[in-house]
Amino acid sequence: MDGVTPTPEVLSPSTAFTPQFQIVAALVFAVVLVIISVFLAKRKSTQRGDAVILAGCSDAGKTAILSTLVYKQTLPTHTSMQTNAALMVLPQGHKTLRLIDVPGHPRIRDQFQEYLPHAKAVAFVVDSSTISRNGAAVAEHLHMILNALTSLPPSRGTPSLTIVAHKCDLMKSTAHASAEQLAINRIRTILERELEKRRASHANGVGVESLGAEDADSQVGGLECTGSGEFKFAEWEGGEVGFVGTSVSVGKEAVVSADEKHPQGDGLSPLREWLEDLP
Amino acid sequence: MLDHCSISHKGGVVLWSRSFTPAASHTAASSTSPVNSLVREALIEGRSSDGKYEKDGYAVKWTFVNDLELIFVVAYQRILQLTYVDELLLALKTLFIKLFQPFLATFVASLHVTSSAKLASSAAPSASWNFRKAFEGWDGVFDKLLRGLEDKAAQERRTRVAHPARATIDVTPPAEDTSTIPSHSNADVQDEEQIARNVQALKNRLRGRGGHAGRRGRGRTDVGSGRDSLPGSDSETPTSKRKSRAKAQRKWGESAPTENDMALLDYSYDSSVSEDPASSLDLSTLVDNGSLGTRTRDGLYEVKDWEFASQGDKNTDDVIAEVLKKGGQEAKPAASSLGALGSIFSRLTGSKVLTEEDLKPVLEAMKQHLMKKNVAKEIADKVCEDVGESLVGKKVGGFQSTTSAVRQALANSITRILTPKTSTDLLLSIRTKLSTPVAASQQKLPYSITFVGVNGVGKSTNLSKVCFWLIQNGFRVLIAACDTFRSGAVEQLRVHVRNLGMLGVDGATNSKGRVELYERGYGKDAAGIAKEAIAYARDNDFDVVLIDTAGRMQDNEPLMRALAKLVATNNPDKIIFVGEALVGNEAVDQLTKFDRALRDFSAASGGQERGIDGMLVTKWDTVDDKVGAALSMTYVTGQPIIFVGCGQTYTDLRQLRVANVVQAILSD
Ligand SMILES: Nc1nc2c(ncn2[C@@H]2O[C@H](COP(=O)(O)OP(=O)(O)OP(=O)(O)O)[C@@H](O)[C@H]2O)c(=O)[nH]1
Ligand SMILES: [Mg+2]
Repeated sequence: MDGVTPTPEVLSPSTAFTPQFQIVAALVFAVVLVIISVFLAKRKSTQRGDAVILAGCSDAGKTAILSTLVYKQTLPTHTSMQTNAALMVLPQGHKTLRLIDVPGHPRIRDQFQEYLPHAKAVAFVVDSSTISRNGAAVAEHLHMILNALTSLPPSRGTPSLTIVAHKCDLMKSTAHASAEQLAINRIRTILERELEKRRASHANGVGVESLGAEDADSQVGGLECTGSGEFKFAEWEGGEVGFVGTSVSVGKEAVVSADEKHPQGDGLSPLREWLEDLP
Repeated sequence: MLDHCSISHKGGVVLWSRSFTPAASHTAASSTSPVNSLVREALIEGRSSDGKYEKDGYAVKWTFVNDLELIFVVAYQRILQLTYVDELLLALKTLFIKLFQPFLATFVASLHVTSSAKLASSAAPSASWNFRKAFEGWDGVFDKLLRGLEDKAAQERRTRVAHPARATIDVTPPAEDTSTIPSHSNADVQDEEQIARNVQALKNRLRGRGGHAGRRGRGRTDVGSGRDSLPGSDSETPTSKRKSRAKAQRKWGESAPTENDMALLDYSYDSSVSEDPASSLDLSTLVDNGSLGTRTRDGLYEVKDWEFASQGDKNTDDVIAEVLKKGGQEAKPAASSLGALGSIFSRLTGSKVLTEEDLKPVLEAMKQHLMKKNVAKEIADKVCEDVGESLVGKKVGGFQSTTSAVRQALANSITRILTPKTSTDLLLSIRTKLSTPVAASQQKLPYSITFVGVNGVGKSTNLSKVCFWLIQNGFRVLIAACDTFRSGAVEQLRVHVRNLGMLGVDGATNSKGRVELYERGYGKDAAGIAKEAIAYARDNDFDVVLIDTAGRMQDNEPLMRALAKLVATNNPDKIIFVGEALVGNEAVDQLTKFDRALRDFSAASGGQERGIDGMLVTKWDTVDDKVGAALSMTYVTGQPIIFVGCGQTYTDLRQLRVANVVQAILSD
């Protein structure tokens, strides 16, 4: 039995952990820690940027879009009472995205704030057929979102923003322009006008809160523009704003990628392309 | 007979729906459809009374299945007073879930993805979603169920007429039958009664039509009157099916038909459904789709549902029969279908399904808590009821207690009530009006705001604060002293205007000329003074007119009418109700009556209907965290709190922070 007894030199912890060894071990440990944390952070950052938020006023068509993209068919819908978060696979590249459809009712539309930290992009859906009537209300909602986007911490890349001119099928095309182009132009003009009104009003206004002067930062900003300062989407300081024109038709199957029968794809193709191109 | 029925997810996707009339199918897709209005006004804004919602002549009833996040909605003409709607809803819910539980569970899970990484690895959401196929056969089941209930309702009517003695001891007769209860077998009496009842029915119809029920009310009237004048016309019905039913009903054919019976005989909608719905119920598709469920947490349901499905058609019929027999009283089908294994499983994972009994004590405690925070009792009741409704049947995880689930739901609910549904940006609203071009022939009108409220709440003081704020924003403001009632009111405003005139703005040492008082002494007609003030403001280039009115109690009819007249003649841009944060239970009465009076009068005088547009809550600094009045006020009017007054100086005006109020109300 004596022969199996290990020599004390080898077992002794005091000799095994010489100062040099301890330093090396500490270094190795630190390096491993750094690697793990970098790895985790990376995973986290890829994880956080997977959401595409569908925002916009009630009845704009957000849920119809979600249904078409996720279930590949346009199901009938009614006013949403809660947020939908569903997964879609892009036809090319097989990327998956999480679509977040936030209800447009003013009482619950704030819920999009909850998803903003995970957002890769925001699509603001506008009903082209009613924008002339609802301009002010739509602009108020968009303002809220622009403000939220510009107040995100700068450490994070701001989500891309596109304005979806939806229900283009209800617009009439002319010889010069397609229905989509007309819808986009109209929405851009009306929203720029309404947002400029809001900007001007806030720029030389004294908020109720600032009367007391304690918390003066309550003002809603987010409409700053380069150049003359007048609100233009092209000059918005928050980043680039895209525009796409789309439509769906209830009860139809979606045409995911263009084929012989549908060389143009379906009414959502412009939106799909934008989703494909997201960084 | 029904107009519209739908089954949908709370996220907005409609799983199944059917319109029974052209009018209903026409509006079904528009944003003004009964279902959309229900969701917006009753379910999101909480403006319904006792589980019933009425709109445009429709009565709408609904029920939730909270664990699957489904809403079942039935809409019908309000004048019909169908007795079987509640039963139908319950039966629909039971059957639908029994038949499609696995598919529904998968579907709901697909709308609650928390991160793409997790699901993408387990399974790609392939193109296998086929909703039409998934719910194949449901149409047949629905038809069968509806027909069963209609028959049952008719049967009940028949037995009641055949045995009047029994009907009299019936403890809870359905509302529409009250007129038949004293009926005897005496023919003369019945004749008289029939006339009386027809008159009543006609009145009902006319009343219903007054409220937009026109389109369909007309068709119904024709059917009804046709039957009344031609009792034998039943036998002329074309299909054999109809004939047989008509024969069965011959027994009571001489007695008065009620609306309900007529509805039963009304075949104007397409009832020629397949005679054997069960055979068209391809249950194998159910299994196909059910297999989707393996991806999610629902492995346990699968076995049971497979068995259910493989037993085939007979089972479906049995279920319908069972449901009909029980009167659809099976309230928690999901729980019962779990079986013993399920309950063990849920005990292991610590999750449980919230039942009414679980919730009751917690909700009661919450209600007491809300009332302690000065929420009016009526409102506390309603809020807790809504919260309970949204939680019954919901699964809560092991870590979450019932209390914390209720607390969370309550916080959501209060936030929703307090969040404004219209813009509260007064500055923008004023600027928009002032910058909107008017026709060359007309002069630009100033923006006018009327302050109303009960006595002694601080109307004049807070009006001055708003005035100060407007002056700071560069507007010229005219104050109209329309409190011609309380002595000293005009003098008080005069002092305020002098003070405001001496305060500087934008570097200028005083704001003379920026604010003026329009006064005509006491005892005069307030509406007239307001009118003159607006005209004066228009001619002298004022931007805003603030109209101070006399405080009045909501029960004082003549004064309330005078106020309504002031509003109707001057049509102000905003009507702001000023109320104290100290108000408790009376908040409900005050606001309902002010709002009602304004609406009634403005509607009666032919103008557009106007109610309170927003509130200013005063003495906010005196209530600490007992801010319940804010909740009561917004709940009653559905309008936002535009300002809160929190002190004695002109700068003591604030905007309401919803998050802070929610926190204060929930804090212990
Ligand atoms: N003509 C036409 N109708 C559309 C289109 N897209 C959606 N709709 C219809 O518009 C209505 C509203 O669509 P939803 O998707 O429910 O609207 P939403 O944006 O989700 O509304 P909320 O949930 O209330 O915020 C539905 O009746 C759709 O069928 C479209 O491209 N063309
Ligand atoms: Mg929606």
